[in-house]
Amino acid sequence: MTALAVPARGRSPWRMLSVVVVTVIVVAAFWSVQISWGRLADLPADIGRYLWLMFSAPEWSKLPEALWQTWRSIEMAWVGTVLGILLATPLSLVAARGFGPLWLRGALRLVFSVIRAVPELIIAIIILSVTGLTPLTGALALAVNGVGTLGKWGYEAVETVPPGPIEAARAAGGSTAQVLRWGVWPQAQPVFLSFWLYRFEINVRSSAVLGLIGVGGIGDMLTSYTQYREWSTVGMLLIVVIVVTMAIDAASGALRRRIMEGPRAR
Amino acid sequence: MTDPIIAQGTGAAAPVPWGIRLDGVTVRYPNGTVGLRDVDLDIAAGEMVCIVGLSGSGKSTLIRTINGLVPVTAGTVSVGGQRVDAARGARLRQLRGQIGMVFQSFNLAGRTTVLNNVLVGRLTHTPYWRTLVGAYRHADRQIAFEALDRVGILSKVWDRASALSGGQQQRVAIARALAQQPRIVLADEPVASLDPPTAHGVMGDLRRINADLGITVLVNIHLLDLARQYGARIIGMRAGEVVFDGPAAGATDADFEHIYGRSLTGDDRLDR
Amino acid sequence: MSAAQAASAPALAIPARPRRRAGVWIAIAVVAAITVITCLPAIGVGLDIAPIVANWRNGATKIVELLTPDWSFFPRTVAPMIETLQMAVLGTVVGAAISLPLSFWAARPTNPHRAFRGAVRTLLNVIRAVPELVYAAVLVAMVGVGALPGIIALAIFNIGIIVKLVSESIDAQDAGAIEAGRAAGGTQAQINRAIALADAWPAFVSQTLYVFELNVRASTVLGLVGAGGIGLLIDAVRTFYRYDQLSLIILEVLVVVVVIDLVSDAIRRRLV
Repeated sequence: MTALAVPARGRSPWRMLSVVVVTVIVVAAFWSVQISWGRLADLPADIGRYLWLMFSAPEWSKLPEALWQTWRSIEMAWVGTVLGILLATPLSLVAARGFGPLWLRGALRLVFSVIRAVPELIIAIIILSVTGLTPLTGALALAVNGVGTLGKWGYEAVETVPPGPIEAARAAGGSTAQVLRWGVWPQAQPVFLSFWLYRFEINVRSSAVLGLIGVGGIGDMLTSYTQYREWSTVGMLLIVVIVVTMAIDAASGALRRRIMEGPRAR
Repeated sequence: MTDPIIAQGTGAAAPVPWGIRLDGVTVRYPNGTVGLRDVDLDIAAGEMVCIVGLSGSGKSTLIRTINGLVPVTAGTVSVGGQRVDAARGARLRQLRGQIGMVFQSFNLAGRTTVLNNVLVGRLTHTPYWRTLVGAYRHADRQIAFEALDRVGILSKVWDRASALSGGQQQRVAIARALAQQPRIVLADEPVASLDPPTAHGVMGDLRRINADLGITVLVNIHLLDLARQYGARIIGMRAGEVVFDGPAAGATDADFEHIYGRSLTGDDRLDR
Repeated sequence: MSAAQAASAPALAIPARPRRRAGVWIAIAVVAAITVITCLPAIGVGLDIAPIVANWRNGATKIVELLTPDWSFFPRTVAPMIETLQMAVLGTVVGAAISLPLSFWAARPTNPHRAFRGAVRTLLNVIRAVPELVYAAVLVAMVGVGALPGIIALAIFNIGIIVKLVSESIDAQDAGAIEAGRAAGGTQAQINRAIALADAWPAFVSQTLYVFELNVRASTVLGLVGAGGIGLLIDAVRTFYRYDQLSLIILEVLVVVVVIDLVSDAIRRRLV
């Protein structure tokens, strides 16, 4: 048989290095974490038992209270989103390349990044020293947190708009504000509306989370009943959270698709 | 006919080729269009056949009924005397394992190596756990290497598939089909995306496979000079029906005009 | 043009201005109504400035404290911070491992069975509807405080995100190579492992690293509900109103998040 000339296999050193680094980190984490590994075997059975307790007979009698608290959470989310939009939109327009001076753009983008890096719960904790444990605190925390992401999406949207109408508006002698209003906004409007709605979806989830530290809303109710180990109520609350979140996601998703694609031809 | 190199490498003779038979085959798509209309076809084992016709004539549908990628609405399809249209599940996969297919757009997994692409041809001979861990048998790898060597592209075995040129990728696809040690090779417009010299190279590879290994080869092609040059028999299709069936040597330009239903243009030939 | 000329010029046939579609007006009205309702004190959030003004001095001292971190507190933050990172890593690993097969089951080219696919997608939608902290709070009540409920909560959270994004990426890809795998006779499981995995890998790695970044952020606060990490320390310092210590913790969190972002970018480029 004629021997086949099979070439040798080359391997990239960087790739091997990355694999090694990742493996070392993962193994180190497994090794050092404080978990009682013995209990791990019982875990699936335990969780199964709790799931049964939660969902086999949910406590529907508390549903009205749950719905009221859900409304409070949605309010928090709504106000937080609206405030966030009002604060972030002008800032994001100024932070876009071609519209604000370089130093201001840099400063604003830094502020956006810092806000995005701090979890909203921590922002809520800071705010509650002034406003206490009320839904207003939650709304303000969501608004401040929203400025970080809405700001970033805002200036990205302005920068990715096709430049033609902007150039035309400038050539016609428009001021910065006029160029923004007539050159940028008509094209960027669907994108802005779309991520405003998306931010609302995120905020609805976050408002439940904020409730866990006591600002009110459905998270608050969840914490109490979880601490009292009232599993059938917890199960009912989880079902409410899931259904409401999925409903808002579906509605918001449909609206966003409609906005981005335009109305169906009649 | 057995090939000495493959025989010694794997200790097995190249398998006996299969014939193909279609009886009254009709294919109607869910949206109502008819792909094939009562087609009868008998292809002997070891033949090299070129199927010509315009796009929409049913060539692609026809070739895909042979390995069951397109279900038939009526009639029977047999390979080597075994029914394809009635086969399901493991039986169908087993039959497909004996039929190699080469596609117009190569259909390689771009992000992985050439070798892994060719090893796809050995899937029917590999248990799932080996596929899962990527531990193919030594014998299977040898078959893959030999298939690549046969199409002259062994030097690229460790390269990422997407880094190869169009002609090289098609050769890898042919190697993938060869690695199956197939009894039939189906090629659906294999050279439509290639430039003339590369197209000749690939058609030459297909003809060599037919001549040296004795495998039955069926090629869909819309370029009439290539069909005449490389096929031994030409089958012409129009609107889902067979309108011509005869030796390539006897196929005149008038025959092609009858097949296409129009006069010939420069686009119908590869070499102007 | 003089006034006389203007008066005698023929009137232009200006078409009537189209009215904005009713839908837009309704939408604006709904938005305004909801905003007003949600700001009312009784049933709404109560956008009340008075308490803010009254508490202002209180808040001002807090803010001053926040701007002067207590550096001496650093040693006590090291162990909880490490636990935070451990949770993030392990949550990512467990979540990614489970996500890989689920991603294939949720995408059409890799899972042609519509009912099974639909079930997987619905399960994912349900999982994604619950925030990770809620999972953590409930898990703490189930298995006790510590890192374990945090890891499980993060893993579940990760599965929701990774599977959605990776399966969308698989759906968007060209399915030609998968058709070739089917033609060669492979089972769906073999096709997924030998062909689809290579093409889905970059998206998978990318989403895993993205999710790891999210995990680091999330695991800093999981401790607020008892699930381990630096969150427990945050809860402790805030009940004692030690905002200078809180500010040190926040700074550490910021540094860690930025470093993780940079490192994961570097790894993503090399690993793909």
